[in-house]
Amino acid sequence: MSNKLNLLLTALLVACALSLVNAQYRARHLFVDLERAHAHERQLDIEWAQLQLDQSTLGKHARIEDIARRELNMVQLTPNRTQYLTEGGQ
Amino acid sequence: MTRSSGNQGAARVARSQGVSFSKSPVLAVRLPTWRSRIVLFVLFVAFAALAARAVWLQGVSTAFLQEQGANRYLRTQELPAVRGKITDRNGQVLASSLPVSAIWASPEDLRAAPKDKMRALAALLEMPESELHKKLDSPRNLVYLKRQVEQEVADKIKALDLEGMDIRPEYKRFYPQGEVMAHLVGFINVDGLGQEAIEKVHQENLIGKPGSRRVIKDGRGRVVEDIGGKIEPHNGKDVTLAVDSKVQYIAYTQLKAAVEKFGAKAGGAVVLDVQTGEVLALASYPSFDPNDRRNLTGAQLRNHVMSDWFEPGSTLKPITVGLALDSGRVRPDTLIDTGNGRLIVDKWPISDTKPHGVIDVSHIMETSSNIGTTKIALAMPAQEMWEMFTKVGFGQAPKWGFPSATSGSLRPYNKWGDIGKATMSYGNGIGVSVIQLARSYLMFARDGDLIPLSFVKVDKEPQGQQVIKPKTAEQMRDMLEAVVSGKEGTAKQAQIPGYRAGGKTGTAYKAVNGRYVIPRKYIGTFVGMVPMSKPRFVIAVMIDEPTRNGHFGGQVAAPTFAAVAINALRASNVPPDSSVTEIVIPADSGPEAM
Repeated sequence: MSNKLNLLLTALLVACALSLVNAQYRARHLFVDLERAHAHERQLDIEWAQLQLDQSTLGKHARIEDIARRELNMVQLTPNRTQYLTEGGQ
Repeated sequence: MTRSSGNQGAARVARSQGVSFSKSPVLAVRLPTWRSRIVLFVLFVAFAALAARAVWLQGVSTAFLQEQGANRYLRTQELPAVRGKITDRNGQVLASSLPVSAIWASPEDLRAAPKDKMRALAALLEMPESELHKKLDSPRNLVYLKRQVEQEVADKIKALDLEGMDIRPEYKRFYPQGEVMAHLVGFINVDGLGQEAIEKVHQENLIGKPGSRRVIKDGRGRVVEDIGGKIEPHNGKDVTLAVDSKVQYIAYTQLKAAVEKFGAKAGGAVVLDVQTGEVLALASYPSFDPNDRRNLTGAQLRNHVMSDWFEPGSTLKPITVGLALDSGRVRPDTLIDTGNGRLIVDKWPISDTKPHGVIDVSHIMETSSNIGTTKIALAMPAQEMWEMFTKVGFGQAPKWGFPSATSGSLRPYNKWGDIGKATMSYGNGIGVSVIQLARSYLMFARDGDLIPLSFVKVDKEPQGQQVIKPKTAEQMRDMLEAVVSGKEGTAKQAQIPGYRAGGKTGTAYKAVNGRYVIPRKYIGTFVGMVPMSKPRFVIAVMIDEPTRNGHFGGQVAAPTFAAVAINALRASNVPPDSSVTEIVIPADSGPEAM
């Protein structure tokens, strides 16, 4: 009886040990994935900041004004060439 | 005994002698017992030594050994905090940090590098080869070659695969709006500390707090496990400014154009939101590019809106007249005799540009009569005037935290005397900054109350402090409008098609070391508000030392005001409040009083 119990316990112990190894292995893998996701997050943050910066640089009013005047031949609006519409009509 | 044929001979020999081998008397030597004891003792000592060593390792030097072990796989990883962004009121980025690289090298290793690679490195670092060699000529283990190298270049340097290179991550601050925003946003130094303006004022908020964590790294330097002890990094907070980059751009370009047109030394302009007290634009010229500060001069750094004080001249008259109206001493239609344009106070002459005779208070403002304002001021106690100036912030330390902001200059009233009171009534003998002046006009644009200015975006309207009665503010607005659109107004060039504008011009002589210099140097100013039906903006413009095409405030500063105002109104979708759409300004709008 006691022999059988010992055998059972040994088997359990081995199973336990193996599952620990497996769990550790999986934990490492998940950790690596997590690290990769974090790195990706940082990369995206940087990209976002870069894009915002690009937007601000390209949307510089000096640049817009220059392009509007030179390339699109636009002129400044003056009130005497503006029609104002009032809601409800007068 | 063995039966195998090979050993039969030897057995026969032993048998013939009659003595078995193991019983040989030669072998039966009696050893002394001390020898075995020595062996036993030596064995014991050896085991004892092992045990002692074990105790030593486990018990005494365990901490040291564990530390040594940990050194080989445990790493403390820095978790950097990114400095917060600065954006304008619409979310446009004005300052942002991006990762770059610092290039370090070990001189000893790098000196052995092949010639062509060194040349490539020097080219990538944008420095002559000789300079690179000079940097490497150092006894130190590690020297830095260049900081804040952009990621792309750093990758190329990495690709050179040179021995002894050390590329470390760091951050670089970018200012996409460049010189337009320089005086408002400021900049940081290479160590990430704010040096000027908002970058300095909001340093605490922006900087963030780096964290760290303990990790286990494998042989190839990859993190395989996080073993706790993590200190979370806190990124710097973003700061949303009150500035509107569109209005700011308009203010800066118009100011720059004016400074160049009038051959002036410098200029400053500020646009305030009347409802919230927000600073929508703050431009100072000459300016600088905060992205490239190699040839920066003190003159470029100077913020002419906040750091300079000057005698405001006639732009101060509305304050004096406002006080007289508010205390009931005069009304807009009270008649005052300004005589023949000359008046002696305390033996000092005060003059107008031309005789105006008997005119009412409105006309004193419209024609900017020094004598009229002097007569109004002489009827008031100095203390009351001093209190008024103090209430609107003159001579008071500004509260917005800019390190270089001036409090101006206001002498104690008991030292004024009659002449002091007289000159101060029209803005001489008192020093204010452009932004102080602009803020004081908020009480006219609002209903007589003053609100604190804000450089960051505000959510709710601040609580004002009543300085003058709403009725007085209304009367002052009418007078200020007459200055711009009245027949004899000094600021005809401040007129704006489609909108009603109001304001006051000022021309002051520049004092150097307390004396007015000859030939005269001028400061032309204009402070005004638009649209008069319900003021939205207070705009102040100051042109320092104009040398050509005029020097009066009405000539040099008023057109800039008009140009900034029309664009700001349109950019903010303010509907027009005037049917006048075509404005013809007389070529010469005439001189004005100081």
